[in-house]
Amino acid sequence: MAKIDLRVNGETHTLEADPGMPLLWALRDLLHLRGTKYGCGIAACGACTVHLNGAAVRACMLPLSAAVGAEVTTIEGLGGNHPVQQAWIAEQVPQCGYCQSGQIMQATALLAANPSPSREQIRTGMAGVLCRCGTYLRIEAAIQRAADALRPQDDPA
Amino acid sequence: MISRRQFLARSGGLCVALSLPLSSARGLAADLPGGGTLTAYLELQPDGRVRLLSPTSEMGQGTHTGHAVIIADELDVELAVIEVENPEPADAFRRNGSMSSGGSWGMRGWHEPLRKAAAQAREMLMAAAATEWGVERATLDTEPGYVVHAASGRRLAYGELAAAAASLMPPADPPLRDLALARYRGRPAPRVDIPAKVRGEPVFASDVERPGMVYACARLSPVFGAEVAGMDPAGALAVPGVLKVVAIAGGAAVIAEHSYAAIRGADALDIRFAATDHDRLDSATISAQLRAGLEDDSNAIEARREGEIPATLAAADRILEAVYEVPYLAHAPMEPWTCTVEFDAEGDLHLWAPSQAQDRFLKAAAETAGLPENRVHVHTTRLGGGFGRRLGAEGIPGAVMAAREVGRPVKFFWRREDEFGQGWYRPAQVARLRAGLDAEGRITALAIRTAGPSLVSSFFSGGLKAGQLDGTSVQSLRDSRYRAPALMIDWVHVPQPVPMAAWRAVGATQNGFFLECFLDEVARAAGRDPLSVRRELLAHDARALKVLDTAADQAGWGTPLPEGRARGLAYVESYGSLCAQVAEVSRKNDRVIVHKITCALDCGSVIMPDAVRAQVQGGIVQGLSTALHEQIVITGGAASNTNFDSYPILRMPDAPLEIDIILIESGEAMGGVGEPPVPPTAPAIVNALAALSGVPIRQLPLS
Ligand code: FES
Ligand code: FES
Repeated sequence: MAKIDLRVNGETHTLEADPGMPLLWALRDLLHLRGTKYGCGIAACGACTVHLNGAAVRACMLPLSAAVGAEVTTIEGLGGNHPVQQAWIAEQVPQCGYCQSGQIMQATALLAANPSPSREQIRTGMAGVLCRCGTYLRIEAAIQRAADALRPQDDPA
Repeated sequence: MISRRQFLARSGGLCVALSLPLSSARGLAADLPGGGTLTAYLELQPDGRVRLLSPTSEMGQGTHTGHAVIIADELDVELAVIEVENPEPADAFRRNGSMSSGGSWGMRGWHEPLRKAAAQAREMLMAAAATEWGVERATLDTEPGYVVHAASGRRLAYGELAAAAASLMPPADPPLRDLALARYRGRPAPRVDIPAKVRGEPVFASDVERPGMVYACARLSPVFGAEVAGMDPAGALAVPGVLKVVAIAGGAAVIAEHSYAAIRGADALDIRFAATDHDRLDSATISAQLRAGLEDDSNAIEARREGEIPATLAAADRILEAVYEVPYLAHAPMEPWTCTVEFDAEGDLHLWAPSQAQDRFLKAAAETAGLPENRVHVHTTRLGGGFGRRLGAEGIPGAVMAAREVGRPVKFFWRREDEFGQGWYRPAQVARLRAGLDAEGRITALAIRTAGPSLVSSFFSGGLKAGQLDGTSVQSLRDSRYRAPALMIDWVHVPQPVPMAAWRAVGATQNGFFLECFLDEVARAAGRDPLSVRRELLAHDARALKVLDTAADQAGWGTPLPEGRARGLAYVESYGSLCAQVAEVSRKNDRVIVHKITCALDCGSVIMPDAVRAQVQGGIVQGLSTALHEQIVITGGAASNTNFDSYPILRMPDAPLEIDIILIESGEAMGGVGEPPVPPTAPAIVNALAALSGVPIRQLPLS
């Protein structure tokens, strides 16, 4: 057990926890941020995807010790009206919804790194996040829509 | 004399009810000043908001929105004023004696009862207004949220009439509104559950929190059905945060302050399982046993027979025969099994669970706890996927035992490895198909035998009597619209110790694959067009022909394709809906590229077109996933592939590049939507690949 300072969604939380505890369980059970999901525990499904300093990571395999000093963003930290979330509503993406926090976190990281992704780049970039309900075509459309919304108007791309 | 509540539950539901169930935690709108319960399904708040108790679980199929649409149109309110909740089990919410969400019944089964309930409520509101104003009911009408009296220009909001209306008896036979007046059905209605789902807000079973709650991770036998032989909890108890180890059916629950400690404790637990008769069972043995079953004439159970099979085969110009096989499949919902159990101050049991079968869950919890059923309260959460996997209650007893032992609310969970490994699969099955052809290559005889374990005997406590047919084993074959001069379907039961459950579209997935791929083999052998072979078998059925032709025309069947591409066709009817798909595919090295799937679906009539499209898209993705990748591999009496690394499901790069959907509203009885799009996808893709290579593919998955 150790005292751990964790920055999540712009706030610092001091936790008394095992530094080896995966970030996923600290977020869910200690901070009660339930939007990040457990799907596999082996970084194979993407349900637990969050941002670590803006990059998408799988929280189920990331020990708390590796998150210390970094800025963690979860689905709760996107604000609810993020253009990606709006695009998700416009395209009516979610079915059961369980994978969608991970999908949205992966998509926002993807668009931050590449504001004008090709279809191929979207599909490859999203390959790590599974959706058993099969919403992939709508996810692709929503990312295109969000990319259009996020691109500055004067950008010729 | 019966009480109004009893009456409501009867009139609203399908059979006699003794109590009107409403979630005790939330309180009745009727208890609020000025509000009221109008029918078993509807409560009206003084501010005009409507609380709709939907009998179906929301697992992404959109029925909560669909039910709200039905109510909004018939009650005449804005869609936005309706809030949808899941009630506890009660007769008003049961179909055929049980409350459950399966068989694609969500809309086709509840459309009429809910429409009637809304019509009753609207009549009661108008009757209350008629009394209030001292006018005839016939002079009144409604506008969204209001009763209006055109002659005097007076209007009253529904909310103001709620209390008075709630004191009236619902009319037995309320007039239904003209569907032409409907403002929501048939149009794009945004799903009510979606905004929360993009913000990470919905409460799935894994998200339930109760005061003082602890976490219990299951440690279960990997071998199907093995009993615990012994355990030493010391190693688990040494893990910081672990509170207790509890013996449960088939294993142990390690209880801890948080999930991580519970998981580490489960790993550290020293537990041994007893030997079983099937400790050496593997997939190859099962496959050999199923194939041997195909030759077991003396145990074949007849499911359908038309014409004279032996004579017609004997007279045939040529006979074709092939054996097909599919493996066990896991449902793999993205949320592994989780539920929360709490005993309240009175000793009543509360269960928060992702249930597709509330009555099954209720019985399992009551039985384990030794409580009468009226002291068990099932609260349905959002489901992180169902696909039939949440029809089974096998995760309930362990949760109840853990909560009883520890005396605190317990969130009980299986890890992904158990979600995959504990069984309850789509059955493995084989089929032998024989066709007799005349000189023109027309099918004169079709004999199909399937062989495999029985889902019904595995999943239902009543089991299967000796010699009894398991209808799921011949589903979509014995009820197929295809006709031939001689047609024979039978089944051989080959029991296996692997637990099975309904998997989206159930028997239609394997049987659709068998027959549709075999028909393409026949077409190739006879040098005929696969479309015309099917049109011949459906020549008597205009509705089916239209579905088939619509998919073919829309996909450009028969028109030239770029080099290296081919099309494949499949038609499967299930759950009251007719579905034809055309797949356009190519191969690039080892990869199958699905350029396009064209799907024609006749589900009678459509209430929510966009939600239907979403189900079709999702069903096609799931069907493609099974064709390419999915199989449970059994080794040593257990599943050997128990996570997404070894049981791959479709990822985005392999999704079809385009899905083109044509919804046909034939006006026939409303059919299901959640399941029927799945079965045609795998055979359509396999048929396209076989057309490309000229080599039949008789076993799935392809990879
Ligand atoms: S739960 Fe982390 S990737 Fe699956
Ligand atoms: S929406 Fe259900 S798993 Fe993606």
